[in-house]
Amino acid sequence: MTHRTKMNVEFVALLAAFALFLSTVEYMIPKPIPFMRIGLANLPLIIGLGVLTYREYFLLALLKVIGQGLISGTLFSYIGLFSLGGTLASSTVMLLLFIVFKEKISLLGISIAGATASNVVQIELARLVLFGSAARFIAPPFLIAGLITSILLGLFANRFVTTSTWYKKHKESSL
Amino acid sequence: MNHLRLLDALIFIIALIIIALSFIAFGELGGRPEVHVRSAGKEWVYDLSVDAFATFEGPVGKTTVQIKDNKVRVVDSDCKNKVCIAAGWVSRPGQWIICLPNDVFVLIEGSSVEEDVDDTSY
Repeated sequence: MTHRTKMNVEFVALLAAFALFLSTVEYMIPKPIPFMRIGLANLPLIIGLGVLTYREYFLLALLKVIGQGLISGTLFSYIGLFSLGGTLASSTVMLLLFIVFKEKISLLGISIAGATASNVVQIELARLVLFGSAARFIAPPFLIAGLITSILLGLFANRFVTTSTWYKKHKESSL
Repeated sequence: MNHLRLLDALIFIIALIIIALSFIAFGELGGRPEVHVRSAGKEWVYDLSVDAFATFEGPVGKTTVQIKDNKVRVVDSDCKNKVCIAAGWVSRPGQWIICLPNDVFVLIEGSSVEEDVDDTSY
């Protein structure tokens, strides 16, 4: 997390646009349950950890939910609620892990933790709102899919933050 | 930041544990099988694993249901056709016995302990 008084609106907007684009890509991929997500749009949130303040970070999370809702047309439905709950859970968990453990954890662990938190919250919401106790039927495939995709995203994010000159430039200018 | 750390492995293990827990929850499909008996607008619930003997009053008389060794049957009924008695023992969730004349409905609910093939084809 970085500290600065003035919000870097342009950078948040850039990452939000990136999330919007990835939501579009993800929307094309067929899924058995509508709110089951691969989590591509979480990539900006993972990468943004090192270069955003916590206010900018949650703004980005909120923009991601709205963007995803707009793309899939589920903004004002229960799926939008699941999306909001999952994203808030994952972004909070990822942010806390990043702040507390700093150098002791890599983006891989953060990605896995975020995806797991998101899925647990979504399954719980599905249990409360939609399926009742039958929600346990979707739990294992949800969690396993989330684990696999979050590992891939985490590995990618790890590689991205070490090799990208664009990221390095922003990290230096954000300090 | 760039290398994988111990905490990454720890979080991976926690995620695996949560997945394992979800599988355990998945397996508990309603817990132990129960015997539901509906008669005269009321419903009684028995544990399939506890042996029991019960008699229900219906329009034509008495229907006696027995639970033994995780199976349930109608032992005796005052109805004319005795179809319910002829149905014999049932043991798997979803199976049922009904005595229409005496308005007694016996149904097993809950998870199947062992998975069976629904049908066999030759």
